[in-house]
Amino acid sequence: MNIIPAIIQTITTSGGVVLVDLHSGDCPLSALLVDADKLPAWLTTGQQVLAVFKESELSIAVDLSGKISLRNRFPCIVRSINRGELLSLVELSFGEHIIHSAITTRSVNALELTTGTQVLALIKANEISLIQLSTQNYQPKTINNKLSTINSQLQTINPQLKT
Amino acid sequence: MENDIIELDVQKELVSAYGRMVLSIQISISAGELVVLFGESGAGKTTLLRMIAGLTTPDNGTIKVGDEVWFSSARGINMPPQKRNIGFVFQDYALFPNMSVYNNVAYGQKDRDKIFIDELLQNFGLTEFANRKPEKLSGGQKQRVALARALARKPKFMLLDEPLSALDAGIRTSLQNEILKAHSISNTTTLLVSHDLAEVFRLAQKVMLIQDGKIKGFGRPDDIFINNQISGKVQITGTIVKIETQDTFYLLTVVTGMNQIIKVTAFESDIAELTEGDRVMVFSKAFNPLVMKL
Repeated sequence: MNIIPAIIQTITTSGGVVLVDLHSGDCPLSALLVDADKLPAWLTTGQQVLAVFKESELSIAVDLSGKISLRNRFPCIVRSINRGELLSLVELSFGEHIIHSAITTRSVNALELTTGTQVLALIKANEISLIQLSTQNYQPKTINNKLSTINSQLQTINPQLKT
Repeated sequence: MENDIIELDVQKELVSAYGRMVLSIQISISAGELVVLFGESGAGKTTLLRMIAGLTTPDNGTIKVGDEVWFSSARGINMPPQKRNIGFVFQDYALFPNMSVYNNVAYGQKDRDKIFIDELLQNFGLTEFANRKPEKLSGGQKQRVALARALARKPKFMLLDEPLSALDAGIRTSLQNEILKAHSISNTTTLLVSHDLAEVFRLAQKVMLIQDGKIKGFGRPDDIFINNQISGKVQITGTIVKIETQDTFYLLTVVTGMNQIIKVTAFESDIAELTEGDRVMVFSKAFNPLVMKL
């Protein structure tokens, strides 16, 4: 699971569909949610949340040109590649975050990815989930275990934040 | 009953398999509530029940029930367990093997009020087994006897320490119903320890989430658990039964609360903290799953 902290900028709703625009550092990202009920209290402008998405949903582009519907485009640098027979796991630096993309080894070859290659990581808005960042409530262990890293990253996103 | 609010403010140092930990609990529980204590093994749930019952002595603090002080380290008060008017039900039933079902239940009842005992036997479907010895009963029936015996004392509090965890799923559901029924009839303040999230949602008016000896949340299950904290709308909890390495990723087999088997892929960053036997939540966006008519 890729986890990056982000701050909610705007929330647009239409019926049960919610489009949340966020910033992680200076990179914009969007998450498309379905919430037929009332929006949870933590889903408000200015809130810090975690954007999470699966490695297998993150695509990689090199020298992207033309028009494309994907709005989530993260400029990244390849840190390492774990090549499998069919599927490879590409480790990327995205600002100070580390994220992973699982793509076919065939694509790794076609894109001629190597350590240091500059790429755009792409993901559809409907593939991104948001998680409340809370110190009071129950947190899944996965989130708890990552809180210290996440907190230091939040400090750099938003230095006035006290943890 | 209105006055019988439990006020807990207790500390105790525990040495567990994971090292030293200070159990430190401050909470008031209203009379008549059914509260489920939820947390991992070693979090301090059972110790908390035992401290309320007087079976374990806190290092520090006070336990007050209404106007009665059951424990106060400052005032040197430590009321013995038999005076605390508590019904305790254990996972292993702890019935008297040499006594009949009737006598097991009646044992808890000081006045030997036959009408009340018969009523309890009837409420728990035990009338026809009244003369049997516990060894002739199934696990579910034994736990019914233990529940009836605990209620026979007309306790102020029922303390149930994982009462259903030794039973299989079908029996567990029917015993959950009986616990709910018993609670609604007697309106006895009840604290129940459970590991099972489904059980928490079925039983708890409030859930007390205990982690590392501290209360991490206290409130309605809906408010405490993550449903609300994660935007993903498809959430399934289950237990990992198998982790297989596949190429550069992993395939997890998860048995869900509904006893369905699902397979889900995971990657290196996930697997570092996952082992077989772990309880996990598998979640997805409402957008992703495909639906097919059967």
